[in-house]
Amino acid sequence: MSKLITDDGRTHIESTLMRESLVDRRVIAKTSSEGEFAIMPDVVMVGIGGQSIFDRGKGAVRPLVEELRAIRAGKTKHKIVLSVGGGTRVRHTMSVALDLGLPLGGVAQLVGAMEECNAVFLNALLAKYGSIVMQREHFWELPLYLESGMLPIVISIPPYHFWEPPPEDNGILPVHGSDFGLFIHAEVLGARRIIFVKDEDGLYDKDPKKHVDAKLIAHTTLSDLMKNLPDELILDRSLFTTWERARHIKHVQIVNGLVPGQLTKALAGEPVGTVIVKE
Amino acid sequence: MNSPHERRKLPSTLADSALTSPGDARALNYSPVAMMPDVKVLKMGGQSVMDRGRAAVFPILDELVAAKDAHKLLVCCGGGTRARHIYAVASDLELPTGLLAALGGYVPRQNARMMQMLLAKHGGIYIMNDDFEKLPLYFNLGCIPIMTGMPPFGYWEKPSEGGRIPEHRTDAGVFLTAEALGVKRAIFIKDEAGLFDDDPKKNKAAKHIPRITARELIKADLPDMVLERIVIQYLTRARFCTELQIVNGLERGMITRALEGEDVGTLITAA
Repeated sequence: MSKLITDDGRTHIESTLMRESLVDRRVIAKTSSEGEFAIMPDVVMVGIGGQSIFDRGKGAVRPLVEELRAIRAGKTKHKIVLSVGGGTRVRHTMSVALDLGLPLGGVAQLVGAMEECNAVFLNALLAKYGSIVMQREHFWELPLYLESGMLPIVISIPPYHFWEPPPEDNGILPVHGSDFGLFIHAEVLGARRIIFVKDEDGLYDKDPKKHVDAKLIAHTTLSDLMKNLPDELILDRSLFTTWERARHIKHVQIVNGLVPGQLTKALAGEPVGTVIVKE
Repeated sequence: MNSPHERRKLPSTLADSALTSPGDARALNYSPVAMMPDVKVLKMGGQSVMDRGRAAVFPILDELVAAKDAHKLLVCCGGGTRARHIYAVASDLELPTGLLAALGGYVPRQNARMMQMLLAKHGGIYIMNDDFEKLPLYFNLGCIPIMTGMPPFGYWEKPSEGGRIPEHRTDAGVFLTAEALGVKRAIFIKDEAGLFDDDPKKNKAAKHIPRITARELIKADLPDMVLERIVIQYLTRARFCTELQIVNGLERGMITRALEGEDVGTLITAA
């Protein structure tokens, strides 16, 4: 049973961390262990690009909606959690906010709203196939939605808001964006894989929209990628740096959502697009 | 204007940005504005102050109440032994850091509520992270807003290196609160006069360090520290909050002197 200890003027509850400084590396090491419990390991997170897919409108979005319908009608039942980026309105928000000189945390506070609009748009299109916009505070309702066969759409921007940490190298943009947010959500659930649906065939060594000689990286490991991380990235840089210390995510795949069938193949485990694995 | 398959863009300086990197202040001509630079952001230590109970807390309340008409006080609370118990239980169950951060967040909120009950008759109000934008109202009414020190990352906290304890706890939250408000100095009320060259609780001969830079602290690479490590890293990147002051709240008058701008305790500076 727990015991209260008051011998030094402070009241402690007996535990392995009692009285300790949580900043002490030796104390922190005591909380480490080989394994980590996976809360919902079968979840597959699917992030749909805001700028890359959603901002293209009906021509790009409707075929994806149809593909999701077919996936859900198929024999294999996937536990999919969707998200969609905020796209061009996020860029416009940041551009105005930075011109006004709003602090970094203020910029971070603003952008989630633009993503939420896209989540509602997507939900309107998918509602008849069982989608639901999952509010952050309903975190523990995820099993309810999935076990009842629904298709939750989460807000991927993480809730760092005014408390967004200052970026390195004198940077001014919040670095904890949608890709990072979806990643960290998947990681805390103990999910193993994430699929990002973008408008390119995957990750290139440089931006294929700017360089005709950009080379597709079809398959790589996280450790190889980190040795030579491209300057121009299709996913948040913070996703990769955080993945290095993550425990559950083993597989990040980037597919071209403008090519029908790519998402279906990726869900079936086929190596379409770019596959990055952590060994 | 566009073919059905083209990206539709709102024209802006960032319209073509991938937003996957932190950007460049010069390229965007960024000149940040401080939101409420005159607020005094204070942290009430959890283990160091709240867990000591009445003997430690009441004299601190007297100092805060005496200062409240001269200063806009924003009180942020730490966790303490119950948070440690939660982290220990969660680590034993091998649960992820995000869950520790979410559950660890309950304790500073309890402490903030306790402070609110004690300060209610002097205008103490409990506020949530979502009430942050109402701070000007609370100050105009002469209130003392009291909130958790924990940043609202919760389940979205990054996995930690070398263990499970969340890297962003209440020290980080207090620094980030000050940084968001554009406040230059955050004040941490603890049970020691700041930084020593060894743990003063274990070594009575430990020497007090009145002033040190973040870079010097990072270079010293101490196995233990007076504030969360990540705060010292962030301090070097801060645009507004470039000074962290640690004072001994158990010593009468220290908080009052810190609020008057005196360099009591230890000052950790960005440069």
